[in-house]
Amino acid sequence: MDFPSSLRPTLFMAGPLGLSNVPDLSFMCSWRDALMLPESLPENSENGGPHMATQLLWEPETPGPLPLLPPGPDPWDPGVTAQDLLFRGGFTFRRKPRAVLDVTEQLSRFLWDHGDIAFAPLGKLMLENFKLEGARSRSKKKTVVSVKSLLQDLGGHQPWGCPWAFLSYRQRRFSILGGPVLGKSVASLLGELLHEELAVRWEQLLLDDAFTGGALAWVPGRTPQVGQLVYPAGGALDKLCFQEVSLTSSGAAQALRDPGHIQLRGPVRQVVTRTVQGETLLAVRSDYHCALWKVSKQGQPAPLPVLQVRKGATGISLSPHLPGELAVCSRSGAVCLWTPQDGLQQVYKDPETLVFCDHSSWRWADFTAHPRVLTVGDRTGVKIVDTQGPPGCGLLLFRGGAEASCQKGERVLLTQYLGACSPEPLHPTLHLICTQFSLYLVDERLPLVPMLKWNHELPSAPLWAQLLPPPRPGCPRPLLLGAQRGHLRLLHLTGEGASAPRLAGHPQSLPSSSDSLSAFPLLEPKSQWRLQERLKAPTIGLAATIPFPASEPVLSLFQLSAAGDIFHQRLRLQADPGATLHAPTASWTPQATAFCSRWLKALLKVPPPPPVWAAPTFSHRRLLGCMEQRTGEHKGPEGLRAAMAGGRLLQQRDLGPLPSAEPPPAPEPGPEDELSARLEAAWEGQMAAWWERQQGRSSGPSRPSKRHKRRTQLSSTFSSLSGRLDLSDAISPPHSPDRASPEAKSQPPVTPPSHESTQELWAQGVPSERQQTLRDYMAKLPLGGDSPRGVCSSLSQSPSLQATSSRSQTLQERTAELPPRRTTLRGAAVSSSQTSSLRATPSRQRASVPSGSQPQRKKPRMGF
Amino acid sequence: MSDFSEELIESKTEDDQEESYVFSGTGMSFPWLQNHIGTIATGGKKEKDFAQTTSACLSFIQEALLKHQWQQAAEYMHSYLQILEDSDSHKRQAAPEIIWKLGSEILFYHPKSNMETFNTFADRMKNIGVMNYLKVRLGEPGGGFREGTDCMEHWLWCKNNEYCYRKYLLFVYLWGICCLWTDEDDYAYNAASQSMLNHSCKTSVNLGALIQTPGVWDPFVKSYVEMLEFYGDRDGAREVLTNYAYDEKFPSNPNAHVYLYNFLKREKAPREKLISVLKILYQIVPSHKLMLEFHSLLRKSEKEDHRKLGLEVLFGVLDFAGCTKNITAWKYLAKYLRQILMGNHLAWVQEEWNSRKNWWPDFHFSSFWAKNDWKEDKTLACEKALVAGILLGKGCRYFRFISKQDDEVLRKKIKRIKKSVENHSIVNPGL
Repeated sequence: MDFPSSLRPTLFMAGPLGLSNVPDLSFMCSWRDALMLPESLPENSENGGPHMATQLLWEPETPGPLPLLPPGPDPWDPGVTAQDLLFRGGFTFRRKPRAVLDVTEQLSRFLWDHGDIAFAPLGKLMLENFKLEGARSRSKKKTVVSVKSLLQDLGGHQPWGCPWAFLSYRQRRFSILGGPVLGKSVASLLGELLHEELAVRWEQLLLDDAFTGGALAWVPGRTPQVGQLVYPAGGALDKLCFQEVSLTSSGAAQALRDPGHIQLRGPVRQVVTRTVQGETLLAVRSDYHCALWKVSKQGQPAPLPVLQVRKGATGISLSPHLPGELAVCSRSGAVCLWTPQDGLQQVYKDPETLVFCDHSSWRWADFTAHPRVLTVGDRTGVKIVDTQGPPGCGLLLFRGGAEASCQKGERVLLTQYLGACSPEPLHPTLHLICTQFSLYLVDERLPLVPMLKWNHELPSAPLWAQLLPPPRPGCPRPLLLGAQRGHLRLLHLTGEGASAPRLAGHPQSLPSSSDSLSAFPLLEPKSQWRLQERLKAPTIGLAATIPFPASEPVLSLFQLSAAGDIFHQRLRLQADPGATLHAPTASWTPQATAFCSRWLKALLKVPPPPPVWAAPTFSHRRLLGCMEQRTGEHKGPEGLRAAMAGGRLLQQRDLGPLPSAEPPPAPEPGPEDELSARLEAAWEGQMAAWWERQQGRSSGPSRPSKRHKRRTQLSSTFSSLSGRLDLSDAISPPHSPDRASPEAKSQPPVTPPSHESTQELWAQGVPSERQQTLRDYMAKLPLGGDSPRGVCSSLSQSPSLQATSSRSQTLQERTAELPPRRTTLRGAAVSSSQTSSLRATPSRQRASVPSGSQPQRKKPRMGF
Repeated sequence: MSDFSEELIESKTEDDQEESYVFSGTGMSFPWLQNHIGTIATGGKKEKDFAQTTSACLSFIQEALLKHQWQQAAEYMHSYLQILEDSDSHKRQAAPEIIWKLGSEILFYHPKSNMETFNTFADRMKNIGVMNYLKVRLGEPGGGFREGTDCMEHWLWCKNNEYCYRKYLLFVYLWGICCLWTDEDDYAYNAASQSMLNHSCKTSVNLGALIQTPGVWDPFVKSYVEMLEFYGDRDGAREVLTNYAYDEKFPSNPNAHVYLYNFLKREKAPREKLISVLKILYQIVPSHKLMLEFHSLLRKSEKEDHRKLGLEVLFGVLDFAGCTKNITAWKYLAKYLRQILMGNHLAWVQEEWNSRKNWWPDFHFSSFWAKNDWKEDKTLACEKALVAGILLGKGCRYFRFISKQDDEVLRKKIKRIKKSVENHSIVNPGL
């Protein structure tokens, strides 16, 4: 191995950023980048002029990537956006922007949507202060309030944001009585937790590191043109698919046959593949488990042991030197090496971050040129650790500080060993380190001093990188860099032997899936918006291959989106780009547009994500029957007509009372057309019918799951309350793996008790038996002590893993019982022992237990 | 030096005063934060129209560059120059740097640009406050070096003042890179030429000062040592190289040790001295190609611990993925193993082997490699087979595969290997 005989001059500043005696040189980064540029000048630059430099341009064959497979059957929900989390409006522009979390709105939404959770315990405590019966109370205590009269006063109107809300003396007394208790407990207990939860979600929105490394892998087949794409599918990303793909020289990639799949019990976060000494291995990381398969020459995966990571695995990598070796790192700060001979051994453990204190528990490990030396990385730096040496020792390879002239707030997002790429590695000692600002190439023989730094200017977090073999012999090697929002950069690295690695040509940005919108036919706004959302879905995996290394330099690029779509694009290396002024623009072929419209048709057939969950409403008025004004139902239009004829202002009394089932102000505005439909219906006087319809629709099969989701989104922090009230456990159908099965889908879901009661009452309208009904109704409210308990202890169950050897059509079906996806990372880190965080479960030992015989466990609530 | 832009350094301060973005204690900054906030901002004070258009223009330029649309980028650049009139002093001050950086990139790749356009651009940049000496190099090779030398002197006096020191470092940094632009060959040639000799006195002072600043200064150190040697100042050269290699403030640069070693070798220094230099290099980069030379030195040494280290070094080289096909290393190891085992130092071999016995067999001596090596390089396969036989015994896959091969040319050699394995294998030392 040659070491570059002469390195590029660099000033070396040791220590952290911003110390008074060390000048902050970060502002000079761009200078250095600029000044690196003329290095690619050819020798004869004096006479030739600068543009003689070799340029490398990969020309996309289509303006954007195309979907490879038809859309999956599961609807996709984009999840929370900045709009859901941040305070809207009133921002003053700042050079350094600041986000303000909107806790107030979320809290009020929570109180509306989950009033049972928020107030029931207190309600229970205050039970003696309320009188439920209509009968007069004998006690003259001022602290007892009659529910009937209170509700009467409220008049069915929900005074949230209503300036006309009328306060009776009873209400005032009630608020004096309950105010301090209700206000304090909710605000202090929930507010803090909510803020914490929102902060976590906001951080996740800014940077979701779960998919670091990418969940898409290309497993090469017998020829370079045929291979398998391995990726997770299904709504929960828990089905590991093996899709055979053939790449033809003329057209697009073709998916051969239906994909084989392995059902897992947890979401797949990372898929890694590597061919070492002719053996292809496939490693998969889930949140709490890592699994390894050996892929035979025919493409059949055979399971190898599964590792359990108690504290959550953050990274997995396969050794490029020795077949079957695997490095796993966990949130506890431990790095373990798994070898076929010695099994699992912990090689490093440090709960603290390397260089300075950082709260992130993200860890990463990769191999180096020495098969027994690993790199261990976290947000602050990267260390080289000898697995055979004494524990704890190591050498810093990269420091997020002055050494690499980092910027303030710069953090490591990805580290990758680049030497593994066959045939002939560039420098077998090079490591790629990506931060949110820059890309660094570090040689492990010269720690701390990056060999190359390039400002990538990506508008989202770069979490995937792949170094490809040279497209032509003697060509620089393409390095693909992918970011979370689908942005791609293609760089060329050159410099073998005794010369230092450097960039060849100007880096290039490649089209992302949102550029493909023009290939689809124009739609009406709602569908267009849905398509747009789908195309904009964040990327969670990236794979690339050069299918014809001998003949033509073509790059096939696959991108997996969070919605489960795989996009494919082909890029052709341009023969002589130096001569052209404009980069040529590709256009859509008729075949491509035809394919896109077919794909779109299939997409629109997929049921849209269920409508936004609305709080259940209780029609107090109907229950109590004292505000009986059913006759007024059709009064509205007549009153309106009368008012219009009379030319006077329309008043409340003309319209009669509001429709009694009027929903409370929805926490989130539904899709626009719903509103217009409702307005239309109201205008035509069929408001009630519309509402009936709407009720019927929203209590359809998808509703409970949506409710469940919404709840978990918000309530995952409120674990302190969950023991007492766990409605979602009782109401939601179990998730994976049954989720995918048609039986589970066709089963009518159980309606939440509150809904049930509401609708029953709505349908029957029973004012005559109001006393009894009220009692029933109150009994159904979760004030009683018989609500399900104890389901929250899912963490202590320490889910074990089992593998079955039942064969499916093509592949060995393997059911691994993994714990369900956890929405909060923090929640996962709370309990579980400090000691061994990783445990290998040999699959053979458990193979005798068929997956079906496992008793159906109640779905634990996320984050509880 | 009048062109040295002070603003460049001052531009930092304004940002520092502003409350830095820290969110829920993470301390991480997100370049894409503004985009997220931009999607929800509905009211409040907006960025000025001017700022909006210029920042949009900047992003267009960057996008065009990343799509290799040089023509388009040039057109946008034309409009972007209006930023020089921005009323925001922070932006106005940062602008020349951005313009210079993007402009030179565009001109570098634009098919219609030539040296003349580049020079014109650089001249204009001078007027708006970018250090112009960078351009000099583009015009005339070697010129930048001379000018840099003059500037260097100017800045040396203020090294004690902290404010000046920052500038000094910035200068050293930029000047160093400026010098890099001067091709090494150019410099070597110029250093010997008459014109450069006039400057060399000054240069020696300045270069000496530069390479005492912590950093990687390989080309300068090389040239400086060359120059000192040219003048016959060998002690000075040795001192420079020793400082460069052993100063703790410097990063552990393998080349520093290589230069020192090569210098000592040229000086015909005693073997002991050479070994001590390479010992440190061995600790930093055990895979360096000089390690084979190091091994030869150790092998010839009389000291027992040196001979033991010689074995360690060979094993160390072959640990690395990039060295697995290094036939010299395998040859040395095969030969040395036999030599050591004949010298009754089985313990040395076992000591090295113990830490490797659980991964070397798969790493080097798997049947995959046996087939592959035999197909690609039969000599290498033979050497490896001998080592495999000695370390793992006759039963090992690699040795068995190679010994079964029937090759007319290598028949004799394979026979010899078999015999050596019989005699020296460490697996059954008694037999």
